[in-house]
Amino acid sequence: MSDQPLTLDTALSDEAVLSTYRRMFAALARDSGAVVDDPALVDIAETLFAAFAEAGEEWLTHEQMRFACRAYPADQFDNRLRVLKGLGAIREVFPKPHQLRHRASFTSVVGLMFIRRMMDDGGQSEMHRLLALEDLNVADPRTTMEEARLSAANLARAFRLWALELITLTTGTIEELREQAPKLWGTEEIARRAQGLHGTILTRWPELDRVCTDLRAAIYAYSDASRRAAGRLADSAGTTRNLTLLPTETWRTFTQTAGKERLAAVLDGFVFDAPAPWHDPAAVARAVDEAPRPAPAQPTPPRSALPDPGPQGSLDSSPAAAIERLTEVAESLLGSSSRVALTDLLGSDWPSARRLLADLTTVDLRPELPYRLTWSDELTIDPAREPAWLSHGYLERTS
Amino acid sequence: MTRDDAAVAHVLARSGGPLRLGAGVAAPPGMLRLTRPDSTGRALPVWPDGVTPSLLEEYQVAPVPVERSGETRRVLAACLKCCWTDLSVDPWPGGAAPLELVLDTYRALIGRTDDLMRNWAIGALRRLHDSAWIDMSDGLVSLGPRCALWPPESHAQLKELVRRIPEPERATLTVVADADIIAAARSGASTAHEEEASAQTRQSGPRDEVATTEVGNDLPLPDSHHGSAGALGLRGGSPASGSGGRVEGGAAEFDDLLSGYDERRRAELVAAFMAVEHAAEPVQEARYTALRDPALRHTLGEMLGRRGRTLIQHRERWISGYDDQSAALATRLGDGRVGTAVPTGPDGDTPQAPAAALGEAERAVLVLVLVHSVAIPRAEGVLPEDTWLSPHPTPVDELRRHTQVPIGELESALRVLRHAGLLTQVKAGEEAGGYVPGPQFHRLTPAARRRLQEELILAAGPHTPLAAAVRARRSAGNDR
Repeated sequence: MSDQPLTLDTALSDEAVLSTYRRMFAALARDSGAVVDDPALVDIAETLFAAFAEAGEEWLTHEQMRFACRAYPADQFDNRLRVLKGLGAIREVFPKPHQLRHRASFTSVVGLMFIRRMMDDGGQSEMHRLLALEDLNVADPRTTMEEARLSAANLARAFRLWALELITLTTGTIEELREQAPKLWGTEEIARRAQGLHGTILTRWPELDRVCTDLRAAIYAYSDASRRAAGRLADSAGTTRNLTLLPTETWRTFTQTAGKERLAAVLDGFVFDAPAPWHDPAAVARAVDEAPRPAPAQPTPPRSALPDPGPQGSLDSSPAAAIERLTEVAESLLGSSSRVALTDLLGSDWPSARRLLADLTTVDLRPELPYRLTWSDELTIDPAREPAWLSHGYLERTS
Repeated sequence: MTRDDAAVAHVLARSGGPLRLGAGVAAPPGMLRLTRPDSTGRALPVWPDGVTPSLLEEYQVAPVPVERSGETRRVLAACLKCCWTDLSVDPWPGGAAPLELVLDTYRALIGRTDDLMRNWAIGALRRLHDSAWIDMSDGLVSLGPRCALWPPESHAQLKELVRRIPEPERATLTVVADADIIAAARSGASTAHEEEASAQTRQSGPRDEVATTEVGNDLPLPDSHHGSAGALGLRGGSPASGSGGRVEGGAAEFDDLLSGYDERRRAELVAAFMAVEHAAEPVQEARYTALRDPALRHTLGEMLGRRGRTLIQHRERWISGYDDQSAALATRLGDGRVGTAVPTGPDGDTPQAPAAALGEAERAVLVLVLVHSVAIPRAEGVLPEDTWLSPHPTPVDELRRHTQVPIGELESALRVLRHAGLLTQVKAGEEAGGYVPGPQFHRLTPAARRRLQEELILAAGPHTPLAAAVRARRSAGNDR
C-alpha cells in the first residue's frame, strides 16, 4: 500500500502495530478475524475523519470522501467505507434513502484518538488519568462503598495483568523486552498515585480491607516487575543502547531545564585529555613559509607618453581577405601542376610545417576553394628528420 | 614511587597538562623535569626512543587536528622569535617578551595590521597558552614547557626559522622600552605573583599535592644539577634571565620492556605506541606489526599500562584510552583526598575531576551535546551504531536558546571543548551545522562508555525504573 518497498523491518513494525490493535479490541471483536489486517486501513479512517472535520456543515459526498482518500487504492477505500458505515462511524446526514451527504460520528473520532495514544505509550498515560479520576471519585462524598470496592477491584486486576505481562517479557527475548517494556513499566509516579488511592479508600471505608490488601499486593507486584524488567535491560545494555529507553521528550526536558551543575555532574569522574597538539619544528617552519603574504603593490608597466593607437586595423579580417590569402598559399604550392605531395611541401622545421598544414586543412575545409587534401595510409618514420612521423598526402586542384 | 603512582601521574599530566613539582621532587619515570632556579619544576611526558608525534606523518596517520593550525604555528614562531634571544642555548626556557612585541612580530610576519588579525593572534596565543606551548601572564609571553620537547636535532631548523622572521618595524620612540616593561612586570608581579601562586595552589591545590606528596617523595632528587643531571641530558638553561631553568631528562621507563626486542621490533612497538596515543581515529590493525602480533600487542599494552592507558579495540582498529583503574585513582586524587588509602574499583560516588580538567560550564555544554547528538537520535532510532560518536550535529542555536547555560560561558566552553578535541564543529551551509562529540570519544573504554550512559540516564530520568535498576546494581557492586 505505501510507496516504500516492503522490507522485513517495515513488516515487523506493521505487525507490532497490528498486534496492539488486536489486543485493544479483543474485548469487542466478534471473531478473531474482525480486526484490520493492514495498518493503512486505520490511516484511511483517520484521513476520512480529518476531511469531515474540515468540511464542517457542508458534510461530504461519496466523491469528496473518495477524493480525500485519493492516496489509497479504490478497493481498500470502498471496503473501509462499507465497514465504517456498517458500524455507524459514518452515517447519512439524514436517515432516509438515497442521501448523498455523510457525517462522521463523534464517538469514533474520540475512539481513534484514544487508539493513537494507546499506541504511543501502551496505556501508561491512560493509567495516570484513570488513577487521577478514581482519586477524585473516591474523595467525592457521593461515592458509595460499593463503587469504591468495584474501582479498587478493577485497579487491582489491571495492575496484576500489567505485572504479569511484564514478567513474561522479562523472561523472553531481550529485543522484545527492549521494545515493549518502556510502554508497560510504571514510573514511581504511578505507584505513588496508586498507593495514595489505596490509602484514601482504606481510611474512608476500613471495611474494604480485603479488597485493599489485594490492590496493595497488585501494586507491589507491578512495581517489582517493573524493576526487574529494567534491571534485566540495564544488565544487557550495550554502551549506548539503553538511551533509547527514555523517551525523546524526557531528554529534551532535561537539556532545557537542567541547570549547569546538574548537567556538569554527569561527567564527574570522567577523565579527558587536555589539549596537547604537537607543533613540529618542520610544521612551524612550513606555516611561516605559507603565511598569506600581503599582495605587494605591483607597479603598472611603463607606458609611452605619446598617443599610440596600437596595431589595431593593420590586419584585414574580412572573409574575402582570408580566402584570397588561402588561394594564394595553395597556388604558390601547386604552381602549374594539379597535384603535389605534402612530403615535398613541408619544410624541415616543425613550426613552419605546422603553420602550413593548418592553412592547407583550412583550404580543404572551405568548399568554395577549388583545392582538396587527400591522405593515403602510408606513413614514413624517420627519427632524423622533422617531422619524424609523416602521413603521406597530396594537395590537389579539383577544377 | 610505585608503578601505580607513576601511571596516575601520567594520567594527571595527560588530562591536566604539565605537572607542577615541588622543590627537589623528582619527575615520575618517562617525564622530563623542567627545573626552575628555585628547584621547583614542571614535569611532562616524553616519548620513548626520542620520537615525537611527527612519527605519525611517516605512517600517514592523521593526528588530532590542530585548530587553525597555520595561524597558531605562525604565532608560535613569532613567540619563538621574541623569546629565544640567545641562539647559542636551547629555546626553552628563553626570556620573556612583552605581548605587544609578539603581536608586532606576528604583524611583520604576515604583513597585515588590521584588528581582525590582532583578534586572531590573541585567540592563537590563548590556545597556545592552554596547551602549555607558551606562558602568558601580566602582558608577558614566554615559552611554555612543551617547547622543551622539541628534539635537539631540530634546533638548527628553528634557528634558521628565527633568523628568517623579519624584525618588526617599531616606532623608535616607544614610551617604555621592552626591557623596562619586563622588569616592571617582574618586580611589580613578584608580590602579586606570590599571591597568585598561592591562589593557584588553593585552586588547583590537590594537583600540586599530587605532584609533591604522592608522586615525588619516594625518589631522591637526582643528585644534582651538575653531576648525573648532566649525564641524564641536561640541556642548557639561561642563568641570566630571571625565569631561568633547565631541562632534565627523565628516567627511561620502557627499557626493560623494549630491550628484549631487536631494533626493528622495537621501532614497530614505538610506532604503534605513538599511533594509538596520538592518532585522531583508531588505527588499522593491519598497518602495524605491533598491533597484529599478539605478543607484541601484549608488550604494547604493558607500555601503555605504565602510563595509565589501555588499548581499546574497535573491530579491527585500535586506539588507547585511560584505563579505568588509573582514571578512577586520578579523579580521586584530583578530588583532594590525597594521602588517604586510595580504594580501587569504581563507585561513581561523587568524585571530582582533576583541578585542571574541564570546568563546570564546559562539562555542562559537553553533556548537552551528548544528549542532542547521541541520546535523542538513539531514542528516535536514527543512530544505529553503539557508539558515542554521532553524525547528528547539535545546532548552536539550540544550545544558545533552549538551555540554562549562560551565553557568555557557552561560547568560551565551546572554544575549550573544540580545542581539546571533545567537540567537533560541523559546518553545513550558512545556518545549519553545529557540534558533534569529538575524536576523544573514540578513547573511552567500554566500561567508561557504559558508565556515561548510566550517568546520563540517572541525570535525565532519576525516577524511571531504569535509574532505579542502575542504582540498585551499583549499590550491590559496592557491597561486594
